[in-house]
Amino acid sequence: MQLTITNLNKTYDNGVQALKDVSLTINQGMFGLLGPNGAGKSSLMRTIATLQEADSGSISLGDINVLTQKEEVRKTLGYLPQEFGVYPKIDAVTLLNHLAVLKGITNTKERKNLVESLLQKTNLWESRNKNLGGFSGGMKQRFGIAQALLANPKLIIVDEPTAGLDPAERNRFLNLLSELGENTVVILSTHIVDDVKELCSDMAIINKGQVLYKGNPFEAIEAIHGKIWRKRIKKEELVDYRISHNVISDRLIAGSPVIHVLSENNPDGTFEAVSADLEDVYFGKIFSN
Amino acid sequence: MLLEIIKFEWAYRKGRPATWLYFAIILIIPIILVSTDAIKIMGGGEQTKENSPAGIASLEIAFTYLFVMITSAVMGVAVLRDFEFNTEALMFSTPIKKFDYLFGRFVGSFMVLILIFFAMILGFTIGEFMPSRDVTKLLPYSFWHYLQPFLVLVLPNLFFTGAFFFAGGALTRKTVIIYTQGIILFVLYSISQNLMGDIDNREMGALLDPFGIRTFGYVTRYWTPAQKNTMLVPLEGIMLYNRLLWMGIGVLALVITYFGFSFNVVRSGLFKKKAIVEDKQPKIKPELVKIPLVTQHLNGWTVIQQTLRNAWFYAKMSIREVPFLTIVIAGVCLLISALINSNETFGVKSIPNTGNVLGSLGNFTPFLYAIALTYAGELIWKERVVKFNLINDAMPVPDFVGILSKFIAMIIIYCGIFAVLILVGITVQAIQGYFDFQLPIYFEHFYFGQLVSMVFYTILFFFIQIMVNDKFVGIAISILFLILQGVMSYLGVEHSMLSFASGDLGNFSDMNLYGHFVKTFSWLSIYWLGFTMIIFAVATTLSVRGTEELLKTRWLMSRHRFTKQIATFSILALMIFIFSGAYVYYNTNILEKYQNSKDGQKDQALYEKTLKAKYEFMNQPKIVESDIKVELYPTKRSMSADGFYYLKNKSAQTIKEVYIMFNRPVNVKELAFSGGAKIKQQWKDWGVTIYTLNKPMLPQDSIKLSFKISVDSKSFLSGMAGTSLVYNGTFFNNSAYFPSIGYEEGGELSSEDDRKKQGLKPKERMMEQSDKRGLSQNLFGDDGDWIRFQMTIGTEPDQTAIAPGYLQKTYLKGNRKYFSYKMDRPMVNFYAVVSARYEVMRDKWKDVNLEIYYNKGHDKNLGRMMDGLKKSLEYYSKSFSPFQFRQMRIMEFPKYASFAQSFANTVPFSEGIGFVLDVKEKDPNIPFYVTAHETAHQWWGHQVTEANVKGGSMLSESMSEYSALMVMKHNSKPEVMQKFMKINLDQYLAGRSLETKKEMPLSQVEGQQYIHYNKGSLCMYALQDYIGEDRINSALSQYIKDWQYPGPDHSKGRYPTSTDLIGYLKTATPDSLKYLIKDLFETITLYENKVEKAEYIQNKDKTFEVTLTLNSEKFRADSSGNQVPIKLNEWIDVGVYGKDAKGEDKLIYLKKHHFTKKDNVLKIKVKEEPIKAGIDPINILIDRHSSDNVKILSKKEVV
Repeated sequence: MQLTITNLNKTYDNGVQALKDVSLTINQGMFGLLGPNGAGKSSLMRTIATLQEADSGSISLGDINVLTQKEEVRKTLGYLPQEFGVYPKIDAVTLLNHLAVLKGITNTKERKNLVESLLQKTNLWESRNKNLGGFSGGMKQRFGIAQALLANPKLIIVDEPTAGLDPAERNRFLNLLSELGENTVVILSTHIVDDVKELCSDMAIINKGQVLYKGNPFEAIEAIHGKIWRKRIKKEELVDYRISHNVISDRLIAGSPVIHVLSENNPDGTFEAVSADLEDVYFGKIFSN
Repeated sequence: MLLEIIKFEWAYRKGRPATWLYFAIILIIPIILVSTDAIKIMGGGEQTKENSPAGIASLEIAFTYLFVMITSAVMGVAVLRDFEFNTEALMFSTPIKKFDYLFGRFVGSFMVLILIFFAMILGFTIGEFMPSRDVTKLLPYSFWHYLQPFLVLVLPNLFFTGAFFFAGGALTRKTVIIYTQGIILFVLYSISQNLMGDIDNREMGALLDPFGIRTFGYVTRYWTPAQKNTMLVPLEGIMLYNRLLWMGIGVLALVITYFGFSFNVVRSGLFKKKAIVEDKQPKIKPELVKIPLVTQHLNGWTVIQQTLRNAWFYAKMSIREVPFLTIVIAGVCLLISALINSNETFGVKSIPNTGNVLGSLGNFTPFLYAIALTYAGELIWKERVVKFNLINDAMPVPDFVGILSKFIAMIIIYCGIFAVLILVGITVQAIQGYFDFQLPIYFEHFYFGQLVSMVFYTILFFFIQIMVNDKFVGIAISILFLILQGVMSYLGVEHSMLSFASGDLGNFSDMNLYGHFVKTFSWLSIYWLGFTMIIFAVATTLSVRGTEELLKTRWLMSRHRFTKQIATFSILALMIFIFSGAYVYYNTNILEKYQNSKDGQKDQALYEKTLKAKYEFMNQPKIVESDIKVELYPTKRSMSADGFYYLKNKSAQTIKEVYIMFNRPVNVKELAFSGGAKIKQQWKDWGVTIYTLNKPMLPQDSIKLSFKISVDSKSFLSGMAGTSLVYNGTFFNNSAYFPSIGYEEGGELSSEDDRKKQGLKPKERMMEQSDKRGLSQNLFGDDGDWIRFQMTIGTEPDQTAIAPGYLQKTYLKGNRKYFSYKMDRPMVNFYAVVSARYEVMRDKWKDVNLEIYYNKGHDKNLGRMMDGLKKSLEYYSKSFSPFQFRQMRIMEFPKYASFAQSFANTVPFSEGIGFVLDVKEKDPNIPFYVTAHETAHQWWGHQVTEANVKGGSMLSESMSEYSALMVMKHNSKPEVMQKFMKINLDQYLAGRSLETKKEMPLSQVEGQQYIHYNKGSLCMYALQDYIGEDRINSALSQYIKDWQYPGPDHSKGRYPTSTDLIGYLKTATPDSLKYLIKDLFETITLYENKVEKAEYIQNKDKTFEVTLTLNSEKFRADSSGNQVPIKLNEWIDVGVYGKDAKGEDKLIYLKKHHFTKKDNVLKIKVKEEPIKAGIDPINILIDRHSSDNVKILSKKEVV
């Protein structure tokens, strides 16, 4: 099964164009959607998750037209929105069980097994009978993951799933995602480059509603190999460097900025070469002129 | 800083569309209200101007109540929105002081609220200058008349309710709490309303109403039309206390908000959430858990399961919520208070039979609507409020599952509430010792009647919520819909197919149960079901799923969402709607003649214009005999009749033409005159035919008029049968179906407004006493004087049929039972046909057979009624004249009407007024009294029948009141009498305040009930108090002797008038009291008697000296209620109360003193220790402030 997005456009009422002619082909396996806040990741995810309309363009999942045959998509969909809440006065088992029914798992025994194993898998087993209202951000996020995995989805969309998680939880979650097998399309949107680096065989970078890059992370790194240069500068110099060089990132290290520049050769000889990583690809796509 | 926040709030609110939407609502509704016929809601009528200050004030104050929703939306969210939009962290981390933040928000929002409500003044003003207004019904425009109530009534209401909602929103940070607060206000208002029912509790009720509506009603309850047109409610007395009380509570709410509001993002305090301590070492290794493969069953059965589970899920979630519980608990509390004070008739409660308890349980209905309104909003927004919507919306369920399951959840909730209500009802019955629980009736009422209408409203509210996609605006529009529905009929939209959920199970009657109403209700419900199914389908297709909320986008998407299932459902809905609609239309407009009230008025005007001038004075023969065989078919609600009249020409002229009229469009199968006649002209719509007799009637000639008619109930409405022909409890009189002779004035329009609109001249309600025509006919009309009467009634074999006269025989023929009645002496041309399944109680007074025909189970007051029959027959025959019949019967009829009516030796008596009362020792014995009143009519009406002119009903009704009062006086305690007379006083004063045309003195009464009953009682009771019962009775006895069986054939040649009667009363009155005749009967005279100061000292000889400072004024009012003081020259009671052995009040001194000036000081010596004292202590005179007549005495030490 393959998810194909062709020339997708969406403009909101307030005039913001969230998606500009987005075309992507997503195969089975993990797909990373990388982009800064407000890039249009969530808009794209929601559109794939049947929750938002597109102005033009098409999305197909195998034979299914995602934009019109929503019912069909939902049958195989697992979706974790970027931001969500829960009914505060209901416990985790009850709500997950309820959602399992909505997913069409009508066999009581099967459902019970599934709910229990998902709660165990997401490490919520001990708190399963507690009201969701008392859950911490991380626990709530894990509950969201549990529900997204109900009914063995073939298309999993997780929008910024690691945002509220501590490092251990994040690891556990990424492992979980990687376990999901090869015959599932998993789309992971994130602004954390490491998430993609660790997990995804395929990725796209979007910004301001446009796809800036699509392909394999390693190929992307390969493409800028030897073109990333680093220099520690003084704070007041930053503005000048920005003007004179193709600065793709700056970061404070021990109080003074270290800038990365994308260039075929050492710009003025004072830079040192660094081995490129995915972050450079990302910043390169977003900030390079 | 404070100013900044106020400015910010003002600017923010100004930019919100909701603010202007509310403004528009409050602007437009007054315009519509006053510039259309909806203005009639205000009542008033011709005398009270449409823009009278009192009317304006009552509308303005009502608006603060009706639109309390807007107040809550504006004030409740002032702080709350920071939490809803998650901006609280931003707000609270800025260096704003709590005081500035809270009060800035409050003041800013409150200013916006005032602006919004100020729109009503603009609206009323615009409305006042609309071209559709009739200047003659208006006072000149006065801005002050609008502003004064705004300042005195509206502003305090806005302040209190605003502060209340502001506090609720700020302290709880939950939107739902705001609904709960709305409910609390409603309960307070309703409780104050319940309190108003009892005269003694009114002050308390007036104080407790947070909106001041009851307070306003209390202050203005006796205002005459003239006062309403000129006076503004002053901010004094109870009105001032009410305003101060609630504004004080408003201030308190703000203070509590200030101290209770925590300026932290994370709230601590009242409801601390238990933080969950996470287990750091999971016992289960998540890595090792394998997610099992499961099978998805996505088929029809799954969808059903999903829907039902979802419904149960929502229902469970909703009933645990605080607002729901508050609504239910508040409702049940109010219910219990209503059940305790239920169904009072003259201060007497009803027994808790199922019909009455169901009536009281109806008090819960507003709460059902409140639940429907709020929970339609809550459930539609359920997921979005907790931000669970994206997860939920991506579930593989069809679109309809969400809304359908929410709908079913509501139904589950209603069913649960109904179970609670039934339980409450049964418990209340059991507590009061009533154990005949009619469970099927409870079930029919709630799970059929109520549930069906809740289904319709719930779907409608869902639909509104989905279309407008804003919870508060949705609720506001839903409320607006309910309000509009209330006024629709005034705007000419009356047809049951146009007024939403128009089915009505009707009044429950113990006799007829829900009767034929079930059928109409069912058909209309099917029709509205079809309609609501359609909007349900629309709502489903347009419901918000995902993030697209714009209606336009949802509309564009809908073609993908309009699935086969929804299409099938819509077609089904459409078919139900169309076919049931067609059938309803066939029944309402084709089988029946449909006319809305506007067309009806036009038709009435046309009737008058066409016929009156030509035929009103047409010389007609009189009925002298009536002999009819009536066949009743109660289960078919139809009947037929075959009978004849003998008509006699009592005039000196020859009669060539006879004018025959049927009041209802009965099927006339045959109508023939003995000498033969031809139809000269016919107006089928009005049932009028003019026949030319083949042989003209010479003076004193008689002819026989035979007729065969039938009433068929073809349509399910069977409008012609109405509530007259019913399954059990048929009751109608001769004017309903039988032919009448001559032009009927009763068919004309009577309201001056309506007449004017139709281009008719104003008309008098009754003829002058000098009118010869009026004097030659009696109150029962001009069809006949004294007639010979015979009637046979056939009915179903389990029913008993009754008509006036004596039972000659009963016989069975086929499957029908027949009753033959014959009257052995002439009687008035007024008779009723009654048929029902009856039990009988029989007794005898002397040789008179007494019978009470009653519905099984209604036996509680039979003894009282029988006693009433005996005691009154005894008193009247001794005091006035012998009883003319050998029999007196009372027959119960269903409570579609609440009266008893006296026909010759028979009295149909509504089940609603005497049979089911629970008379306690301290209560006026109403069953006894009503029986005595109706029995008195056998004299006043059936022996002395009055002329059909002004003042007429004084002769029948006021005399019957007097007679019954005397019988009651001799059979009950003075305190009970005083309580009863106080109710009469209250009803008279309230009645004159609502007079639409003109208040008449008793001697000129124009059929006004508050005059001939209530004022008649008061005046006759006063007269007997002054001159003595015996003097009156001997005058009346002489009056009967002179005027018995009057009319054109009587020696006096006419019927008597009030002038005749008053002549006898005047003769009986000593000269010193002759002024009373003028005060009581010939003018509208009122008093203001008051105790200013009341003290006493104890003398050395163990006697006591009471010193009273009294204030007495006497007024004379004109027909609009303009009153002027007149000179005092009166004898008025002065009384002193002590205590008897039981500690109850006892009059130890009561004597009439002569008063000639306003201020008086009296010294009275009494032998027992006095407690309280006053002037006119037992309320003999008409006094608008009857409670200040008596004061508790203070003891002064002798120095």
